[in-house]
Amino acid sequence: MRRQGGSKDSATLRALTTSALALSGLARVAAADTPIDDIQTSYSYSTYSEDDLPNSKGLPISEHSRYEVKTQQARLAAPITDHIDFSLDVTHEKMSGASPWYNVPDAAGAPIQVMSGPTIEDERNDILLKSSYYLENARMGLIGGYSKENDYKSMNFGWDGETHFNEKNTTLSGGLGLSFDEIDPTDADTEPTRPVHETKQTYSLNVGLAQILNRRSLVQSSLSYAFGNGYLSDPYKEVYQKGAIYHPDERPDTRHAFSWLTRYARHIEEVEATVHLSYQYYWDTWGVSSHTIEAAWYQSFGDSLQITPSIRYYTQNEADFYVSYLPLSGPTDDHFSSDYRLSTYGALGFGIKAEYTFRTPWVTDIQWKLKAAYERYISAGDLAWDSPAVEAPGLVDFKVLSFGISAVF
Amino acid sequence: MKRRLLCSVALALSLSGCATIESFEWPSFSSPDLSEYTERPRSYLEICLEHDFLLRVKPWERAVLSREDMAWEPDPLEAARTSHTYFSKEASMPGGSAGGGGCGCN
Repeated sequence: MRRQGGSKDSATLRALTTSALALSGLARVAAADTPIDDIQTSYSYSTYSEDDLPNSKGLPISEHSRYEVKTQQARLAAPITDHIDFSLDVTHEKMSGASPWYNVPDAAGAPIQVMSGPTIEDERNDILLKSSYYLENARMGLIGGYSKENDYKSMNFGWDGETHFNEKNTTLSGGLGLSFDEIDPTDADTEPTRPVHETKQTYSLNVGLAQILNRRSLVQSSLSYAFGNGYLSDPYKEVYQKGAIYHPDERPDTRHAFSWLTRYARHIEEVEATVHLSYQYYWDTWGVSSHTIEAAWYQSFGDSLQITPSIRYYTQNEADFYVSYLPLSGPTDDHFSSDYRLSTYGALGFGIKAEYTFRTPWVTDIQWKLKAAYERYISAGDLAWDSPAVEAPGLVDFKVLSFGISAVF
Repeated sequence: MKRRLLCSVALALSLSGCATIESFEWPSFSSPDLSEYTERPRSYLEICLEHDFLLRVKPWERAVLSREDMAWEPDPLEAARTSHTYFSKEASMPGGSAGGGGCGCN
């Protein structure tokens, strides 16, 4: 539909159609700036399990089994008034298993992973509350959260908002977040490399622009900046120096990170499917940069069944201070870490999800959804865009299985 | 074509602050805003946004766009869980949203 030049006629037409739409109730579909209509509840249970460390990559006497996490999530979202709604997310996680500790060189000098004993037993409880206020042409949200583990506490706050222009075809959004964290590592009295008490703060800022391209497709691009300050090292990791000297993990006290995310969604009516594509470029002052490409295909079969296969590719290059282990002469820099997560590698992820929707009009009109999903993640040095000279031995492969149920009243 | 080029230049100027955006307004707290329907000076940015090369999708044409699977994150629980997993296993710090805090996982 092409717009005619004169603004008065079209403004009148617009005003008339707006009121007509408001009367017919269709305006809800068009205007995002109203609170959610219904009470939404959902619950999900998932298990995350890492593959055993291959014999060739781990020290024979050390532990080879790895980490497992059982996660339960619950969510409630509801309108409060004509202008306000809220959502509450509660997460409970139970973690157990062993994790990479440090690397030692084998006879040929290649790094071999030493794991912590299967001693980690921890739980994390997380609560996140968000409330949004809706204006004529905008939304503003306040977020507050708290997360607690045996050895870690995080208190966080956020603000986000969005406004529309160009007849609601363009949306400008932004947000900021603050997180204040406290770390109290376990066994700090018996492990000399562990600090007793540390703190860190993270500040983040993002701004995004979304554009409706046509009746079936949308694009969004956003820029984010995050600043981490304080104790950013991992208290449970060590760096081995030839000659059996053990150093604590030593990372810089500050980190500036930038990312640029672009997403595209398109519905293809002919085959009853929606495709999502996204690309993210990331760069930080530790020397890490990464690319993430994701694609998902939401295939509907009638009104009740949807099957969604997805694929993800991730590649990063190592932090400036990443070392497999230190030479006999000792460190040449103030900062060093053998954490495999700071090494150069690439990862492939595959997912499949099934969602079944049904209604129970004979009770009260509730819309139910049953969900089951499986994800596989593999990482390797060779999967990186630029393969590293030496692959980190601790790189992780994992699978996630999850089940969920949701109800909309 | 020429107009499109001019508009692109004007848009770039507007966004970079080289030209004034006279009509920018913060969202109004009072309802409904009738100033939208009256004549007033228009900026380069506004004129460009009204140009034909940006196809407008009218409110009554948005049935497909309002589908659940057209949301950026159709399943909030799944989105929270996966972003937490990648955050704890990869070096990149998460961006793009305002909520949430750190954990002992990273």
